[in-house]
Amino acid sequence: MNRTGITRLVAGREITERLQGRLIRIMTLITVLVVVGGVTIPGLIKGSSAPTRVGLVGGDAQALAPTVERTAAAAKAKIAVSNVSDEAAARAQVTSGQLDAALSVGPSTARVEVKESLDPTIRAVLQASVDSAHLRQALAQSGIPVDKVLPALTPVPLATVALKPPPPDRTARTIAAIAAALLMYISLALYGTAVANGVAQEKTSRTAEVLLAAVRPSQLLSGKVLGIGLTGLGQLAIAAAAGVIANAVVHSTKIPGSVWVLLPAFLLCFLAGFTLYAFAYAAAGALVSRQEEVQFVTLPFGLFLLVGYLLVYAVIAHPDATWVRVVSFLPPLMATILPARIALGHVAPWEIPLDVLIMGVSIWATIRIASRVYANALIYSGARLSWKEALQLTGSAPPVEEPSRSAAA
Amino acid sequence: METGELEVLDLHHRFGDLVALDGVSFGVAAGEIVGLVGRNGAGKTTAMRSVMGILRPDRGAVKWSGHPIGEDDRVRFGYMPEERGLYPQMRLLEQVAYFARLHGFDTAAADGAARTWLERLGLGERTSDKLVALSHGNQQRVQLAVALVHGPDLLVLDEPFAGLDPEAVDALSRVLFEQATAGAAVLFSSHQLELVERLCRRVVIVESGRVLADGTLAELRRRLPAELRVKVDAPPDWARSLKGARIASADEDGVLLVVDPGTDPQIILRAAQAAGPVEHFGFETAGLVDLYREMVSR
Repeated sequence: MNRTGITRLVAGREITERLQGRLIRIMTLITVLVVVGGVTIPGLIKGSSAPTRVGLVGGDAQALAPTVERTAAAAKAKIAVSNVSDEAAARAQVTSGQLDAALSVGPSTARVEVKESLDPTIRAVLQASVDSAHLRQALAQSGIPVDKVLPALTPVPLATVALKPPPPDRTARTIAAIAAALLMYISLALYGTAVANGVAQEKTSRTAEVLLAAVRPSQLLSGKVLGIGLTGLGQLAIAAAAGVIANAVVHSTKIPGSVWVLLPAFLLCFLAGFTLYAFAYAAAGALVSRQEEVQFVTLPFGLFLLVGYLLVYAVIAHPDATWVRVVSFLPPLMATILPARIALGHVAPWEIPLDVLIMGVSIWATIRIASRVYANALIYSGARLSWKEALQLTGSAPPVEEPSRSAAA
Repeated sequence: METGELEVLDLHHRFGDLVALDGVSFGVAAGEIVGLVGRNGAGKTTAMRSVMGILRPDRGAVKWSGHPIGEDDRVRFGYMPEERGLYPQMRLLEQVAYFARLHGFDTAAADGAARTWLERLGLGERTSDKLVALSHGNQQRVQLAVALVHGPDLLVLDEPFAGLDPEAVDALSRVLFEQATAGAAVLFSSHQLELVERLCRRVVIVESGRVLADGTLAELRRRLPAELRVKVDAPPDWARSLKGARIASADEDGVLLVVDPGTDPQIILRAAQAAGPVEHFGFETAGLVDLYREMVSR
């Protein structure tokens, strides 16, 4: 059989084993639930942003109803007014939560009662309504016909011109950036650990030696990475599809076309990041002497991924800062930061070939070092190896006597 | 050079300061069963791993049918390592068939061969069980099925008999005989010397990374002083002045003489007859256990 045939065979076994396991079903279910929850819950919260209910207390305030509604409409604030007979009733309703605010107006005073605080926009709307009524009243009392003064009272429209307008899809892009980084962090850590565990299992169960009699270490390694990578990709695809469907159902966020265009870029980032991390995780898995040590040896990679993910929040706040550019060139951090920056649309064209080059070289170097560590350490049956020891090993048997046997001559 | 012959040529290997192989050479011909014998740490496993290409020796070569071993040769080898190991969660049929496929079988052939071997080894009823569900002895059988499933031309078995019950030992012995009869070259290591003696025509004794002896039992015996038991109806003094032989013990069963190689036994017989009527005259056959002790202690 040719070399790729063996690799495919190894990958196929990995996929079959994983699909038969219960863990993958649970993990897929959890991922789907998290994604669906992440998509629908903000939508449901937004859907509850009902208008602010303002009670107008007494005749004077109730006369303001048309003015309040007009002003609110102009300010694009949602206000629902209702009439309340007296202050005591109004207070009771505000306290019980039936009303958000109660407005009472005197000859030269006005008061709005709220439970805790009042939204500044709502406050401005109410203030303007009261002012307007007060002005009309004052004009009427002075005998000045309102019609004559009215043009002077018409507000001069103030046009706002943004010199650097935010992209219309900024919210969607920010969400996409966080989602991309989070997904990258979780999936790389998850599938990386799966690779390390798989390698450690083959080593500690001594299956590796039987395998290596038929298969080269590189075939075994690449088959394992490929199999687990494809399983992971399938799992991500299911989660992504669930997210898109959930979004369509609850109309949570309108996904702008610009985000869809980013999908191939995300896919590429995942493949590059997974390759980089999976080989490193595999080599780490080969160092252990017991399955329980996997967690310890893979800790640094998990930390790199976590730091990369956390930095994304700083990247969102300062997408164009120099240090952001610098850290996004560091290979272990690039895996999480770059997809986020692509989502935000802040990757300069000149950065792309540099990113590709750095990632390419890192992957090449990682595969080389990892393959060597893997091949050396896989059938070493002594205590857990350090990276340095594993690189220096020439043979693969322990430098100790074979264990003695009861049937010794 | 015959086809299907394994040649191990002057292997050297060290692990740090420890010399594991110090010029090991031996061969296994097609149809031959060779036993590799030696104490723990003598270099048996390292030599076998070198043959399987799992370990690259510092120096020396391993050849198959006269040429350096390539990947096409190696898929025709079957291996059972000293440290047994298979996928615990994989079902027997899937597992054995998987290894057949790694050795170049297509899906249908792999399935068929896996089923055949599992049935032959008495696991036909358990093909859909997971490996972990099996007893230690049955797991050993699966390990053997994995080594044999692709009908290898060379079988390398590191301590295949360790931990087997007598029934399983017989079953494995039969399988090894069958494989050799079918033309496979078989190399195995063992501490159970009486087993090696029963199974092998040829034995390789290794000690401290070197080959101490390599040959058939008869050849090995010739290299050692022979033991001759002579019973004469006379005191043992007749034997004291013999050249090329000395008394190892003397009792009512006669004298036991250690005869140097090259000494003519007829001279001893004549000396005995001169002393009195000879009741018994015969060489004691040294077993592999004796040969091994003698060789290693020298």
